[in-house]
Amino acid sequence: MNGILLLIPLSVALGATFAFLFLRAAREGQFDELDEEGRKILGDE
Amino acid sequence: MSARIATRCPHCGTAVEEPGFCCAGCEMAAAIIRGAGLERYYVERTAPAPRPAYTASAGPAWSEAPVETLPDGNCEVRLHVGGLTCAACAWVTERVVLAVPGVGEATVSPATGRARVVWDPTQTDLDAICGRVAAIGYRPRALAAAAAPDRELLLRVGVAAFCAMNVMLLSAGLYAGWFDGIAPREAALLRWTALAISTPSALWCAEPLLRGAWGALRQRTLSVDLPVALGVVAMYAHGVVATIRGEEAWLDSMTMLVALLLGGRLLEQGGRRRAVEAAQALAGIAPAVARRVTATGIERVPAARLSPGDRLLVGLGEQVAADGVVVSGAARVRMALLTGESEPIALTPGDRVVAGAVAEDGSVEVRVTAAGEDTLVAKMAAELARAADRPVAPVLADRMAPAFTVATLVLAGVGLAVQGPSVALAVLVVACPCALALAAPLTTAVGLGAAARRGLLVRGGDALRRLAEVDLVAFDKTGTLTAGEPVVVAADDAVLRVAAALARHSAHPVSRALVTAASARGIPLADAHEVHEVPGEGLTGIVDGQPVRLARGAHGVAVVGMGEIRLRDALRPDAARIVAALQARGLRVALLSGDSAPVVARIAGEARVDEFVAHARPEDKVAWIVARRAEGRRVLFVGDGVNDGPALAAADVGAAMGEGAASSVLVADAVLVGEGLAPVLAGLRVAVSAHGAMRAGVGRALAYNVLAVAVALAGWMNPLAAAVAMPISSAVAIWGARRVEAA
Repeated sequence: MNGILLLIPLSVALGATFAFLFLRAAREGQFDELDEEGRKILGDE
Repeated sequence: MSARIATRCPHCGTAVEEPGFCCAGCEMAAAIIRGAGLERYYVERTAPAPRPAYTASAGPAWSEAPVETLPDGNCEVRLHVGGLTCAACAWVTERVVLAVPGVGEATVSPATGRARVVWDPTQTDLDAICGRVAAIGYRPRALAAAAAPDRELLLRVGVAAFCAMNVMLLSAGLYAGWFDGIAPREAALLRWTALAISTPSALWCAEPLLRGAWGALRQRTLSVDLPVALGVVAMYAHGVVATIRGEEAWLDSMTMLVALLLGGRLLEQGGRRRAVEAAQALAGIAPAVARRVTATGIERVPAARLSPGDRLLVGLGEQVAADGVVVSGAARVRMALLTGESEPIALTPGDRVVAGAVAEDGSVEVRVTAAGEDTLVAKMAAELARAADRPVAPVLADRMAPAFTVATLVLAGVGLAVQGPSVALAVLVVACPCALALAAPLTTAVGLGAAARRGLLVRGGDALRRLAEVDLVAFDKTGTLTAGEPVVVAADDAVLRVAAALARHSAHPVSRALVTAASARGIPLADAHEVHEVPGEGLTGIVDGQPVRLARGAHGVAVVGMGEIRLRDALRPDAARIVAALQARGLRVALLSGDSAPVVARIAGEARVDEFVAHARPEDKVAWIVARRAEGRRVLFVGDGVNDGPALAAADVGAAMGEGAASSVLVADAVLVGEGLAPVLAGLRVAVSAHGAMRAGVGRALAYNVLAVAVALAGWMNPLAAAVAMPISSAVAIWGARRVEAA
């Protein structure tokens, strides 16, 4: 009973952290170009 | 022997008379590339480099680019680089920019031409960076459209998915408690947490859906967004009330619904972005700077500041910056992207010229008739962007939306009157057409994506639907069933040897065919001197010490006094196979050509088409298509040139060859990219499959809604059934769309 009172807020906080990281990455444009970066490493020696 | 040995410019591949560069621009470009240690470019490239324009040094085309100052004091800019033809082009551009002192980061996408540069403003500036790019022949310009709206939707999808999964997890606990018993305190904790997490989903993520419904309502139309928005609002309101009262809240269904619908929109948007980028690339073909003739001399001005009546000077290797009329001089220009004609056209005073044309030789003075936004190329780009901006229409679902909405509201009203508010709410919630709203855009998006991966870019959901119903395919001949490039079919080796020696110095398609044939037969090429090309007439030069002339013959070309070489337009290697496969699918295949009857009959025989029409002028093709449509046939017309535009527009679906004229690409519903005709077959297959999947998906979704509403109206809807049924109906819609990919 007391365990769940701790674990649920903890898991929500953890999830919120990931959501925040995703928002930051998306705002910085990490998901703008999905094909290009992969192709690029093939071009270089 | 003469010392004038003709050869090719090592940078741009233009034929030149003496070994070395064709112009100072190419020499400088090569020096920059070698200076940066990038010689590998010449090995890796698959197409010759563009010839740098002399006017490259100052360019207002990029001065309008919004420069962003980063927190660390560096500057960042996003540009579009025109003229990139292969991966090596993007590579060399990127490296040349990186070699500028002070540049920290540079990325150039070969597929889209988008570039991003970060530099230290104390060491260099945008002019220096873009000047460097222009000096090697590529055309940097400000990127008008921001990528911001894309990201906005991505953010909403991400947050909605996060909310949906967490609420689902909490709800699983509540459903388990429904069977096994749960302490009221724990149940309350789970419920309130679920409400807290679903709030951003309903209030922020769902905003585009609510806005869409509101917008449609204000225009007095009933779109499929309306019942969806109604469902979301009803579910959330019910969730809040139920959480306070300690009842089942169904918030997992709501968050899942929002996440799925937004996900479907994100897929749609991806397909549309491609077309917008194509429009930007087209806008990039007109140059940014022009040389204007004034009373005092010649000045450089931004193309955007030209106005009708101005006089421009266009020299070797330069692009015409505005539409106009030639007033003096003579030149040959290439307008391949606009007319699909790869052969340069000779211009004399009085001729019209369009922005974007490249002067291959000579120099002309042009009086501007239209500049900036009014040029043909700018209008075409704007038209293309507008066409691409139209949303993918979920036709079937939208047609049903009004009836659906009215029925839902009436039934909810009946529920309210007969059974009370909780049943009315249950009807609104389970009637929410999640699967219905998903089925059409999802199958359309998957279908468009699958067709694109197979080489057929289809303009939208509506075109895909019409493509699915096609039962007659009409091909244009030149450039469609045939490659549009001549091949040598009969020639004497000695004649071919002399002809190829001259042809080596010309870029004309016939010349290329002669050289290819000679090397295929293993004939060593003779030396040719003093080679001159007379446009429209042929080549002259000295081979083996004898003056020779290569001219047009009856069936090809002739070396005057020696003999003739027969050339003809050959069938594409895969043409017969594709025609047979189309016929095997039960489609009729026809060939419409402007050529003479014997030529068309031969091609028709080789390709084994069902019928053919020779001597067809553009208006004849249109008449033929209109007549077939009047008979009830659904016609797909595949063509390429400018004169195919009316036929492309007249057909149910017009498909243009990607290497054809931009004007035909513009009116077409679909564009074939890459080599050959295989995309026609694959695209048809995908369209039929997507259409079937959509009908099936809409049918299943409707059946689900009718059943669910009936159950809710009877007052039997229990929360577990609703929670399970709704995601399952959505999952079935997604699964149905997945099948299209395998078509």
